[in-house]
Amino acid sequence: MPSLKPPSGLDRRVALKLLAAGMASAMARCSRPDEEIIPYADMPEGLVAGEPMRFATTLSLAGYGRGFLGISIDGRPIKIEGNPNHPFSLGATDIFAEAGVMSLYDPDRSKAIRRGDTISTWGAFSSAWRHATHAQDGQGLALVTGRVVSPTTLARIGALKNRYPQSRWYRYEPVHDDAARAGARQAFGKVVTALPNWADADVVVALDANPLGHGPDELRIARAYAARRGKAAKRQRIHVAESIWSLTGAAADVRVAVTPAHLVEIARAIANACGAHLGTPELPDFAKAFADRAGQELLAARGRALVLAGDSQPAEVHALFHWTNAQLRAPVSYLPSQDIVENDHAYELCALANDLHAGRIQTLIVADANPVYDAPDSLRIAEGIATVPFSAHIGLYRDETAHGCRWHLPMSHALESWGDERALDGTASIVQPLIQRLYATRTRDDYLAWLANEDVTKAYDLVRKTWQRGAPEAVEASWRKALNDGVIANTAATPLSLPVDRVSDFPGMSRPRGMSAVISPDPSVWDGRYANNAWLQECSKPFTKQVWGNAVQIAPGDAQRLGIEDEDTVDVTIDGKTITAPAVLMPGQADGTIGLHWGQGRLEAGRIGSNIGVRVCGVGARPFARVINGAALQKSASTVPFRSTQAHTRLQGKMEQLFQIATPSEIARTSPKKENRAPSLLPVPPKGDYAWAMVVDTDACIGCNACVVACQAENNVPVVGPEEISQGRDMHWLRVDSYMRPHGYTERRGFQPVPCMHCEYAPCEPVCPVEASVHDHEGLNVQVYNRCIGTRFCEANCPYKVRRFNWFDYSGEQAYADEGVALKAQHNPDVSARGRGVMEKCNYCLQRISRARKTAEKENRKIAEGEMVTACQAACPTRAIHFGDLNRADSDVSNLRKAAQHYTLLEELNTRPRTTYLKRIFNSDENG
Amino acid sequence: MSAAGGTKERWIEGIGSLEEINARICAPVLNPAHTWRWWAALAFSGSLTLLMLGSVGWLFGHGIGIFGNNTTIVWGFPIANYVWWLGIGHAGTLISALLLLTRQKWRGSLNRFAEAMTLFAASMAGLFPIFHLGRPYYLYWITPYPNVQGLWPQWRSALVWDLWAVGTYITFSALFWYVGLVPDLAMLRERASSRWARRLYGAFALGWRGSARHWEVHERFYRYMAALAVPLVVSVHSIVSLDFAASLEPGWADTIYPPYFVIGALYSGFAMVVVLAAALRWGCSFEPFVTRRHFDMIARVLLAASIIMGISYATEWFWAWYGGERTERHLITFLFTGPYAPLYYGQLLFNVIVPQAFWLPRVRTNIAPVVIISIFINVGMWLERILIVWSTLSRDYLPSAWRIFLPTFWDWALLTGSLGAFMFLFLLFVRILPAMPAHELRKLWIEENTP
Repeated sequence: MPSLKPPSGLDRRVALKLLAAGMASAMARCSRPDEEIIPYADMPEGLVAGEPMRFATTLSLAGYGRGFLGISIDGRPIKIEGNPNHPFSLGATDIFAEAGVMSLYDPDRSKAIRRGDTISTWGAFSSAWRHATHAQDGQGLALVTGRVVSPTTLARIGALKNRYPQSRWYRYEPVHDDAARAGARQAFGKVVTALPNWADADVVVALDANPLGHGPDELRIARAYAARRGKAAKRQRIHVAESIWSLTGAAADVRVAVTPAHLVEIARAIANACGAHLGTPELPDFAKAFADRAGQELLAARGRALVLAGDSQPAEVHALFHWTNAQLRAPVSYLPSQDIVENDHAYELCALANDLHAGRIQTLIVADANPVYDAPDSLRIAEGIATVPFSAHIGLYRDETAHGCRWHLPMSHALESWGDERALDGTASIVQPLIQRLYATRTRDDYLAWLANEDVTKAYDLVRKTWQRGAPEAVEASWRKALNDGVIANTAATPLSLPVDRVSDFPGMSRPRGMSAVISPDPSVWDGRYANNAWLQECSKPFTKQVWGNAVQIAPGDAQRLGIEDEDTVDVTIDGKTITAPAVLMPGQADGTIGLHWGQGRLEAGRIGSNIGVRVCGVGARPFARVINGAALQKSASTVPFRSTQAHTRLQGKMEQLFQIATPSEIARTSPKKENRAPSLLPVPPKGDYAWAMVVDTDACIGCNACVVACQAENNVPVVGPEEISQGRDMHWLRVDSYMRPHGYTERRGFQPVPCMHCEYAPCEPVCPVEASVHDHEGLNVQVYNRCIGTRFCEANCPYKVRRFNWFDYSGEQAYADEGVALKAQHNPDVSARGRGVMEKCNYCLQRISRARKTAEKENRKIAEGEMVTACQAACPTRAIHFGDLNRADSDVSNLRKAAQHYTLLEELNTRPRTTYLKRIFNSDENG
Repeated sequence: MSAAGGTKERWIEGIGSLEEINARICAPVLNPAHTWRWWAALAFSGSLTLLMLGSVGWLFGHGIGIFGNNTTIVWGFPIANYVWWLGIGHAGTLISALLLLTRQKWRGSLNRFAEAMTLFAASMAGLFPIFHLGRPYYLYWITPYPNVQGLWPQWRSALVWDLWAVGTYITFSALFWYVGLVPDLAMLRERASSRWARRLYGAFALGWRGSARHWEVHERFYRYMAALAVPLVVSVHSIVSLDFAASLEPGWADTIYPPYFVIGALYSGFAMVVVLAAALRWGCSFEPFVTRRHFDMIARVLLAASIIMGISYATEWFWAWYGGERTERHLITFLFTGPYAPLYYGQLLFNVIVPQAFWLPRVRTNIAPVVIISIFINVGMWLERILIVWSTLSRDYLPSAWRIFLPTFWDWALLTGSLGAFMFLFLLFVRILPAMPAHELRKLWIEENTP
């Protein structure tokens, strides 16, 4: 083919040649694939056009696998739901899993092999690889990966090591657990995975630990948390001491905010209460009171008490808490770590930098990792990689590291890959593709097997080889069962019995100078790997409600001292490096701390995620250090916009009834109330076979946002982009309102998911001049998109402000809506895409109700209790969202509406919402 | 208004004969002086009209996202502009009809151009609800037209009532205006020199010959129409107010809204009449017909209206406090202390405080201060309209949804464009039709000059 630049003088010959070439390539595109394909004349068994099918698969977070179900309609994966069989999903999802389908169809994904900036071929790469300058025994060959626990991938790495014995594998996970590893080493002499059995604990004390926050263990813990909030005879009490707000802190019954230095002292005080003699802790009164009370309650609940140290805590605290847990006979399972590399993560990344600069690496393979972005600037990784003669990057995106390497190889997304993963406890599950790979990509295992010169290089064969167990005739059956269940039976590790009989040394921590930066992964884009996912960028962070960026969280006391106001832009200087970002004032954060998030400030994330926010992981000396002392904060000369979806979170005075809280004793004193129905002049809404209703338990809600992203995926909710957010527009049908209520010297925080209320006397209905907002006979307030002319009177008159308007053609033309054709493939075919100028809103997943109704009618029965599950409900890890039929007296929602902690939002308006709430309960009777 | 009783005080000054009245009134149409003023004004307003047309093109091309509206404050400039323009559109018919029925002699100098103002302002008003729609091409869905699906508009929605109220008002105002024009069109027919003009004016004069029977029928018909017009004037803005009042929102769902809107409408309408009267007096040499006494009269009306507006505002504050509703109380606090507070203080200043200057006869009888205060009133009334929309939506029930409105270029472009288009239409009007009712002024002159 000649160059595709516009030819200057196009003569007849060239024109005909081009024409012929174009025809030929078009014909080639039209030809059949090489393998046998089957026409649709006879329907494949089990496949009904338009019917969703569910396939078990596995998605990983921080290297650990979690089993999910992918919903596929007509061969297109459109939605991820939880896999009830998998112990680390339990049927729920988190935002990263939900957004997996968005990543699959992301038009910015890498689609071709590249050498530098030009598209290259596999042949060119393989010949370059053969001429790579590393020695025959692999001296100078380096492989860099994130955390790998997949048996198949580990086998590939093993094979590579066999082929090149002198090669070196560097593994680092950006959001690492080095402190916990070191603590386990101090306590037990080896690295173990400690999994708390949350549901068995009556008292939990967490020290900057965030088990309810995002992470590989979130879904398991969240379910146990919810189980203990509900009907359990004895309520759990959760004490949290932390520096900045975490989801666990918001869920706590008792919480104090202290600096990292004081956290260590609280650990000392608690250990002392449990029998250690570590000297007198130096603590302010309120923190001392917290520690004393926590210590007393822990001792009183011995056998059912648990202490947890977070990743920000030094190894000594982890070790001390292992000892404390042993004293308390705490419900913790100790399991062999699946992360088999002996070295810690930060160490490995530093070692990589050292070896690069020392010239010890001639050939570098970076497989699904992004050290150029991840590593602190002081390691100068990019410069190091530039000196390597042969470097190749394998990844989903052409990211920062891909740009730094000579070669880039496109990797398949998990939803189009074969593979396997292990969960934290070792439970293995298969990564099953839901779709033929969209582009000419390969899986990481494919590439590694090829590099190791293995005989088999097809991912499917590699995975099957890994799980070729037992008698040959059983192999097929167990394989099919593994695929079907999404879990491979009996692969969880057996708990270890580890005695801890001595208190390790516990040196006092020196009081830091300056402020402490407390850094955690971004609640929306994790360590930055999801930065190009528009759903996640537009998913508001639980406390700041920020989208499309990151902010500096500061305590109001510090802000006052430094003359900083909310949304001012500030400079944070750490080790001579300055981070400029908008400030957000967080009442309830410890004075002297600065909260930051990793994961933004990507330069080469793609069209969505590049140049959003500021890169935090570049500062400091240690990679991904959770606490960096000696930070300075000042008002900045520049201005960075703060984009959020909720500007007002503090409830005071009469507004407190919007987010109702109670204590267990108050609930016990309240007699279950009858539904209070004020008289109304409005006509009685029509009655049907069903009366759908939703009850949202704000006590169980931990604010993880899984429901928000699930709703977005299910209902084709478009993304609007940062400019529109700045304009005050958003499209989420379900939002999670984040509220705080002043409480003594601190604040109590909680979350209130707000979908459409489906009012029986819906204020939106009578005001619509064309009757586009109507009530159906099952109690749903539905929006007829075709009829809507866009007066927006409905939203103006909605007291809950749950309606969303298509100011532009968000689902069609807008830059952030549907970039590329590929994204359209994600759309749920059961839900129409809304055009410009039309109002839309939550409809209780009407398409799911219709499907359930059809199924039930075919079987000549009514929809059973629990059969109809909304997308948000399915996603919720704490089962906080209840949905069902009010016509059924014994249904879950009917019972909950009679509960003592039941309330209706804005009940005084007599809109009679079908969506109602349960109060948030703080298991702590005293004030303060 | 007892000034008419004084024998020395006249509503027409410095006119020697009936023919002089006719000549002066026909002059801008048939042999205009100062045409450069007119052309300059036409060029200025024409360019603003083009801005409006361009904005509308951009709007239809890109969608209403070009405005500053957001998820919470779903209504913005177009609704405020609509209410404001329609308010201005009130004064014309009211001056004509109510003052006719109450036999106020000073109406004669004002009614023609005030009615024209009504038509043009109501037309501007009528456009904004269309511009504000998400899908303006389906506007006709709010009319009860026959369609195969048997769909009708939703009669409970105030927006449907609105359509009928405004539609009726515009239609009626146009008819009323035309009926009043007929004798003057006949006069132009007689005086026009060009054949085409004679034919055109003649056709619209409907064969008016000025016979006694013509005059008698015309007078009677005109009075009946006036009697019909007065309730319409009251009803139209009452119904417009129901767009807000027939809702559930704090600050909107108040029974005070209909009278409050009607008075507000008259207030801004009269203020606009002052501005136009001064412009006509200067531009068309209508000094004999528009006297200081006219300005004095209107200023008295404005003063009365400003006091009623002040009482209305105070009533809102009182009921918010006395009612004790969290949202209502918060809304008033927000108005006085929130980000819109400067606008709210501006509204109070322009609508309530500044017009108190009209207590002083010296101010009332001087044209310049009356005009300046009237412009302030118009600005103040626009602020009131936009704040009605903004403040309630910015601060309703759930604090999580609270937001602030940030206007965009297109918001301003369409507002200024509509002012330009209004001015453009008015400029065309004064050159095509007699801006004063010659026949009424002749009658008045005869009355005043008959001992």
